[in-house]
Amino acid sequence: MTTSSGPWSDCMPASLAAREILCVVNVREKSHQTRPNQTNKMDPSEVEFLAEKETVKIIPNFSLDKIFLIGGDLGPFNPGLPVDVPVWLALNLKQRQKCRIVPPEWMEVEKLEDIREQERKEKTFTPVPSPYYMELTKLLLNHASDNIPKADEIRTLVKDIWDTRIAKLRLSTDSFISQQEAHAKLDNLTLMEINTIRAFFLDSLNCMYKLRSNLQPGSSQGQFMDY
Amino acid sequence: MNMQSYFPVPPGVGMEENFLSLDDILLSHERLPVRSDCAFPRLGFLEKSADTQDIAEGTKMELPLWLTKGLYEKKRKVVSVELPKVYREGWRTVFNADPNVVDLHKMGPYYYSLGSQLLHFDSPENPDIAQTLLQTFIGRFRRTMDSSQNAYNEDTSAVVERLDSLEKGLFRSGQIGLNGFQSWEKGQATQLTASSLVLNYRKRKITDIQP
Repeated sequence: MTTSSGPWSDCMPASLAAREILCVVNVREKSHQTRPNQTNKMDPSEVEFLAEKETVKIIPNFSLDKIFLIGGDLGPFNPGLPVDVPVWLALNLKQRQKCRIVPPEWMEVEKLEDIREQERKEKTFTPVPSPYYMELTKLLLNHASDNIPKADEIRTLVKDIWDTRIAKLRLSTDSFISQQEAHAKLDNLTLMEINTIRAFFLDSLNCMYKLRSNLQPGSSQGQFMDY
Repeated sequence: MNMQSYFPVPPGVGMEENFLSLDDILLSHERLPVRSDCAFPRLGFLEKSADTQDIAEGTKMELPLWLTKGLYEKKRKVVSVELPKVYREGWRTVFNADPNVVDLHKMGPYYYSLGSQLLHFDSPENPDIAQTLLQTFIGRFRRTMDSSQNAYNEDTSAVVERLDSLEKGLFRSGQIGLNGFQSWEKGQATQLTASSLVLNYRKRKITDIQP
């Protein structure tokens, strides 16, 4: 990595490396699942962390050769030329005023209004513009609202979409339980949406399964095994 | 995030009990009305209501669940178990009509778990009991879900009051999801907080250790 040119001040390579290592560690930890009690819990900040890997266009105001990271090559960066980078790097550069973020194409008032209407009309979940729409909206609006036109309206619209979808999710969860279904298709649901209801839903399904297995006598008739 | 210092064992709910679950230990102390099917000689001192030396055949008494389970056997009639009144026909009709109006905490508080445990004792009404338990859970599910997902930053005791201990557990996990999301949305998740261990740490004085 060339560290001589402008934007990579002393701390930069270190923080870059830290983020990369964090990625690797996180993936490893997730695959191992050594903590038995936390298997059905995932913090929203972990979901946000995953969302930061999405790419976004930035217009840098510095120049730099291609950089090579574990997650892939980035750059080269030229002033004024748009380039795709992950969100975490975009935000880092933005905070140090090294770039301007180009909002994703779905982050527009008209498009979001269309999506909102669609979402309210349909009974099922409609496809969302990005699997991380909620996280990206929050990250980009909080850190780069000056690059996004009509930031406040977008924030309200996305919140509206989110609320509609969560209400739908609750409705379908209820009908799932009351009809005692065995499986459900979760098309077009995003990770964050699933994550808010996961712990509750899994626990209730467990309870329901056990109450249901009571119906078949003999299935668990290990009569007084503990005595 | 869950800040508990130990991993609680969840209750077994079904016909099995979890040995290490605190809820199931409390459940095993629930009283059941039983009738003795044979005489227990010289155990009259355990039964305070009568002044005899023996417990006669046909005595009605209340025994805890753990003792009833130990005494009950299908082949040798020792005790026969009568259903507590919330599981009887009359109350079952109420539960089937509208499970939402019932105060399960007053009825239980281990309504589901105790009901499942009752299935150990052969009774002709067992299939009906199991069916009612399931229908009650399903009928009350929507309310448990909505209240746990909507009550943010408010006093939940009024809502929780009428829930069974099982539903309380569900309510809690619903609240964890909600609180996690809300604190992320408000940006509190990104703030680093000091460990309580560090905050409470004080230098020990030599006089504290050596009295």
